[in-house]
Amino acid sequence: MSVVSPKTTSVPNPPAKPPFFDWRVWTVAIVLVVAVGLAVLFGVKQNAQQGFYGMRLFPLKTAYDFKLLGSNGADVWLDQFQGKAVLFLFGFTHCANICPTSLTNLTAVYQALTPEERKQVQVVFISVDPNRDTPQTLEQYVTSFDPSFVGLTGSKPAIDQTVLAYGGSYEMVAGPTNQPNDYSVNHSAYTYLVNPSGKLELLYGNEKLAEVPKMVSDIRAVLHEPRS
Amino acid sequence: MVKFHRRLAIGYWLFTLALLLPSAPFALADDQAAVTVQRPWMRAVPNVMDTTAVYMVLVNSGPAPAQLVGGSTAIADSVAPMITTKEGEGLKQVVGMKGVDALEIPAHGTLVLEPNGNHLMVMGLKEHPKEGAQVDFTIKLEPGDHEIHLKIPVQKKPVQ
Repeated sequence: MSVVSPKTTSVPNPPAKPPFFDWRVWTVAIVLVVAVGLAVLFGVKQNAQQGFYGMRLFPLKTAYDFKLLGSNGADVWLDQFQGKAVLFLFGFTHCANICPTSLTNLTAVYQALTPEERKQVQVVFISVDPNRDTPQTLEQYVTSFDPSFVGLTGSKPAIDQTVLAYGGSYEMVAGPTNQPNDYSVNHSAYTYLVNPSGKLELLYGNEKLAEVPKMVSDIRAVLHEPRS
Repeated sequence: MVKFHRRLAIGYWLFTLALLLPSAPFALADDQAAVTVQRPWMRAVPNVMDTTAVYMVLVNSGPAPAQLVGGSTAIADSVAPMITTKEGEGLKQVVGMKGVDALEIPAHGTLVLEPNGNHLMVMGLKEHPKEGAQVDFTIKLEPGDHEIHLKIPVQKKPVQ
């Protein structure tokens, strides 16, 4: 059997290939497909990131492990709540408007969760006014919203370090009477969500907390994330 | 049209009523009498708090602006109009409140007092009425040192 040379089988002068087989067309097509694919993938990823109602921090970083004083004056630190989603905020009990509004909204959010989910969620209120907010005061204050809520205070340096670690800020403002105890505190009014792996994941401005279903949806998503 | 006729009817009866009543309660200037209060409520607060806030919507149907300058209640030392302040940007933003001499209710406009926003701060609480209670509360308007007496429900959340 002789090998048939391609030369002999091919048409001596083949007609020009139709444009469909043109390598340039294929190159353009492949580039387009890859570009669209990447765009879709990136879009999906973006969507996953933006699927949260809260402002998502990325890349996730381990949340600063504050160490403050709990209701009975015992040390309480953030890592104690590991395995739970922790929602915490700064405030003070003499605050008449913003703090009770935030805590009322967080109560509604917390109570909208299932009992099983509630076991995995901890709301923490951190006082930036240790001068007037004793552990006992705070305990009575936060538990009036929900018995599970935790109020923390501490030494001024410990509080300052915590506020600083979370990029927050606060300042005392003298009241009209100029009495030593007549002052208000302007403070960061964000609620910080630390996921069960101890990473700071989401941020909420105080006005965002009123949207209970959206908050609940975020918390559920965080509880269902793979733990790292 | 039905609505219009009803309004006419209400207007007619009010007018008749006004003629029948002594003129003293109607001696207020138009711009003062033009302010009405909607959905007032006082925040129910835990006993450890010595402050609370009152929220409402003030509607001014008159042609001149009015000022909400304060208020009073037997259950607290003082009542003051407050605004919410925001300073700084991003994470460093601090939210606070600031006492003001007055909050304006614009002519043919409204002033909304609401959680996280403008409010009447109630300071030096002597009692802590529970959710569901009613509190006698007076607001003070200018010009004319005009007072509106209200019975305000105590609630944890806004009136729906």
